[in-house]
Amino acid sequence: MDAGRWETIQSLFHSVADLPEAERAAALRASCGGDQDLMDEVLGMLAADGQSAALLDDGVVPLAERVMGAPVIPPEAYQDVGPYQIQRVLGEGGMGTVFLGVRTDLGSVAAIKILRDAWISPARRERFSLEQRTLARLDHPNIARLLDADTLPDGTPFFVMEYVDGEPLDGDYCDRHGCSLAQRLRLFRSVCEAVQFAHQHAVIHRDLKPSNILVTADGAVKLLDFGIAKHMGELDAVADLTRTGLRLMTPAYASPEQIRGERAALHTDVYSLGVVLYQLLTGRLPFDVGEQKSLEAALQLVERDAVRPSLVARRVMDKSPGGRNLLAASASAWADLDVLCLTAMHKDPRRRYGSAEALIRDIDHYLRGEPLEARPDTWSYRLGKFVRRRRQAVAAGVAALVAVAALVVFFTIRLTTERNAALAEAARTQRIQRFMMNLFQGGDTEAGPAKDLRVATLIERGVQEARTLDQDPAVQAELYQTLGEIYQKLGSLDQADGLLTSSLERRRAIAGGDGPGVAESLVAMGLLRVDQAKLDDAERLARAGLQLSRKNMGADHPAVATATDALGKVLGEQGKYAEAIPVLEEAVRLRSAPGAAAADLASSLYELANVYFYAGRYPEAEALNQRVLAISRRIYGERHPRVAEALVNLGAIQQDLGHYAEAERFHRQALPITQAYYGADHYRTASNITMVARALVFQKRLEEAVALLQQALAIQQRVFGKSHPRVASALNELGNVAVARRQFDEAKIAFRRMAEIYRDVYAGKHYLIGTAVSNLGSAYMAEKNWVQAEGLFREALAMFEQTLAPDHLNIAIARIKLGRTLLRQKRYGEAEMATGAGYRILTRQTSPAVSWLNSARTDLAEAYDALRQPEKAAAFRKELAQIQAQK
Amino acid sequence: MGAVRDAIVAFIELGLGCERRRHWTLRREEEKTVISHEDIPLEDVNPQERAALDHLFSVTYEELRRLASAVRRRDPAATLSPTTLVNEAWLKLARSPAVAQASELHFKRIAARAMRQVLVGAVRRRSAYKRGSGPAMRVTFDESLACAEAGDAQLLELDAALEELARMNPRHALMVESRFFGGLEVSEIALLLEVSEATILRDWRAARAWLAKQLER
Repeated sequence: MDAGRWETIQSLFHSVADLPEAERAAALRASCGGDQDLMDEVLGMLAADGQSAALLDDGVVPLAERVMGAPVIPPEAYQDVGPYQIQRVLGEGGMGTVFLGVRTDLGSVAAIKILRDAWISPARRERFSLEQRTLARLDHPNIARLLDADTLPDGTPFFVMEYVDGEPLDGDYCDRHGCSLAQRLRLFRSVCEAVQFAHQHAVIHRDLKPSNILVTADGAVKLLDFGIAKHMGELDAVADLTRTGLRLMTPAYASPEQIRGERAALHTDVYSLGVVLYQLLTGRLPFDVGEQKSLEAALQLVERDAVRPSLVARRVMDKSPGGRNLLAASASAWADLDVLCLTAMHKDPRRRYGSAEALIRDIDHYLRGEPLEARPDTWSYRLGKFVRRRRQAVAAGVAALVAVAALVVFFTIRLTTERNAALAEAARTQRIQRFMMNLFQGGDTEAGPAKDLRVATLIERGVQEARTLDQDPAVQAELYQTLGEIYQKLGSLDQADGLLTSSLERRRAIAGGDGPGVAESLVAMGLLRVDQAKLDDAERLARAGLQLSRKNMGADHPAVATATDALGKVLGEQGKYAEAIPVLEEAVRLRSAPGAAAADLASSLYELANVYFYAGRYPEAEALNQRVLAISRRIYGERHPRVAEALVNLGAIQQDLGHYAEAERFHRQALPITQAYYGADHYRTASNITMVARALVFQKRLEEAVALLQQALAIQQRVFGKSHPRVASALNELGNVAVARRQFDEAKIAFRRMAEIYRDVYAGKHYLIGTAVSNLGSAYMAEKNWVQAEGLFREALAMFEQTLAPDHLNIAIARIKLGRTLLRQKRYGEAEMATGAGYRILTRQTSPAVSWLNSARTDLAEAYDALRQPEKAAAFRKELAQIQAQK
Repeated sequence: MGAVRDAIVAFIELGLGCERRRHWTLRREEEKTVISHEDIPLEDVNPQERAALDHLFSVTYEELRRLASAVRRRDPAATLSPTTLVNEAWLKLARSPAVAQASELHFKRIAARAMRQVLVGAVRRRSAYKRGSGPAMRVTFDESLACAEAGDAQLLELDAALEELARMNPRHALMVESRFFGGLEVSEIALLLEVSEATILRDWRAARAWLAKQLER
């Protein structure tokens, strides 16, 4: 049957399918014009339409179950493989079946691994052959060696290995054989040696677990199954990631980074070794990761800290005869074993033993009674870890900051102790450390800080403590400013205002109206006013602070740089870019002086880059952002949000310049950093994903963009709930892409929801409501529904006029769009007025949106043609032609 | 003293993501809110097949085969539904750089194709083996094999019917393949084929009726 015939059949089918059955035949006969085949075909379809069709309606599942229910080639099918006669199946691995074979000529036994379903893909054969080549390289007494390799007559590859008749090395084995602690460690040491040997030959095993570690009757340890091993230096191909990322490995022994699907390295094996040791010491797995659990569940489990082996051993081992002799070891020996084992299986690969060899060294130290090289985690490490964990756990920043609060108190203590010179340095440090330990561990070394410890509480405590420092107003003023700035960051602007004002008063009281501290307070107040949206006040305060610090400190003092930077920020916030640029240039100059902090310089450069960007000066903005990026990488490292921000800013520049592929590249570079830092469910991650999507939209990769935008929308909804401006913004993106894909109904749904949210959030009055309505109008306009579109643009315009300055870009664009709908309705006079008004606003803008200006010119030329004003029409065509020529 | 304070304040900014310092992203987002679709040209967009996707195909192929065969082992972890399979595969593969280039929808389409080929491949292989061209020495007969053979026949018929549908209308065949083998939702297929959901439902009805008729024969 050909395409045309199918078209006919379909349309006939649809034309009669919903008719009463009695009328169908007659209707068909009328349409078929005597073509009996055609009629039969459609009748057959109609009959099938009314009945169930099990195969089609049940979907692929039952079918797949039937088809895959029996092996394609049953293992019994293999009898003779090369010179070997197959005896029985030893095991089934991820890729192959392992058989026990006897050499017919020599009578020797061997394990034969045959690739199952070799036909499926070349990747599969390649992986199998990789395993074989790996084994060939690894000639070591503790590794089962390769004997031979070949293919079956049908091309299925197989290889022959040394057959190991042994028991898996685990807690049970040790119990059965009554192994002492030292014996267990020596067995384990042999495993480490085999692994170390593989590592020396650039092979990572990636699937270390007791069933792959056998102990023979004479006590020799043999490492098996390099089926998912990896050669270092090889890039992780997709297939490779699949192998580790998907469930081919055994979750209970997999390192957190392996479960997360990251690149495997030596430390991946070190982790698994740690788990094997844990099992040898305690008879238990550190985490109960069932096979049924999803990877996500496994990851959650594995993110927890393991209970110390000594505790588990005490609980478990006295129940078994073999275990009891373990408990004979002293408490200090067990403390060392805890450190040894937990260092091997540390969550953070950088804190693990760097190699199997390092692990072997510490086993030897232990066996000889020497101190270990590994150290338990320090409080500062735990602090950092806690902050990281919390940051991902909380959405917007409610609590992460127990750590911050701790620093506040830390600071308080530091101030108090500095006041009291009698307190010795050592004692002070100790006190602070103890304080931090207690704060973060709540007395229990395994637990985090108390859950009910809240930032607000701790800052309040800080404020109370500061109040008691009346006799030392300088310190008190310092503290008030610090606490005030913290409140400001937390968004409690009233409290911030109170404290900063108090701070200013204290300083004025000490040094008169113009002491050095006064300038600092003025600048801080100025920046607070920015957050309070009192920009004129902010400018006045910043200028006063700057003038005062210049007078007091001399022109090159860091305080002057700080004040200059603040003034530049304020001017930038006000949109006074031309004024802001020289001020920030000056801040950059001051902060480039030798001895100034690189972080401060980066911060000023960042502000300056922003201002240049908003002023439309992209080359300057780009150069500055590159500098910010370089400095941030140097001082914060590769994976820091400051680095991500610089990348995003570079991407934004490329986007505005129309270099969308470059923009995409920068945003994608930023994304993993943002994700790792803030977590997958964070609005910043969503925002970064959106940036990538935008770059894709302009590259016309709409399908990919939609997928990302939906991801971003889902995150925003999870974080902020259904009705939030960020959700609205995500809907807007989706709506715009839907219009581009000509899916107008979806676009309308998105824009309507967007408008609803904004109406809800802003109580019916905000320019963003206008934006939503205007974009809804654009969807109608794209459908050529000029009347609906006109009404919506008028509604949007009314909202903009209520909420924005008369010459705002949005008003101009809305007028141009309105003009377009009027033009298409042949209402040329009205169109000329609307578009002309928009055009005049745009030409007054510092950085006009060129595409809109061009639309306006085109429309105006058309309108003037119709209104018989050819000179005016010609003038606009000329402008257009000039712009074309410039391109 | 000032340095300590700066350090603390910087720390807070990092922890809280202070809005003032980060007005950049926010402001850019708002600015973009006004930019509407008219900047985007409207011609048909169809992401080209890339080398990365070819690779993705063979990986998907592997993964689906493995998960499907978990059914055979009565593995309780194998809650086999095409949607689950494809979603799981996507979740895991989305992390790899090559796949990050592909959209989820595109991936699902490829996964559906892979599912079909895995099953058809298994059937063809089994029949070749039964005909004696495999490395066969012994053939055991059991119930699961009988059941599998019944499934094999149905699958081959469906595959052939789909081939014919593809000759008549490739988009209809793609629709059936995506829905049946990949478990794609109607809304997803609509996005994929860039038509409305109503169109998909309508086309599905006709294609289903035709296929059912073919299979009955």
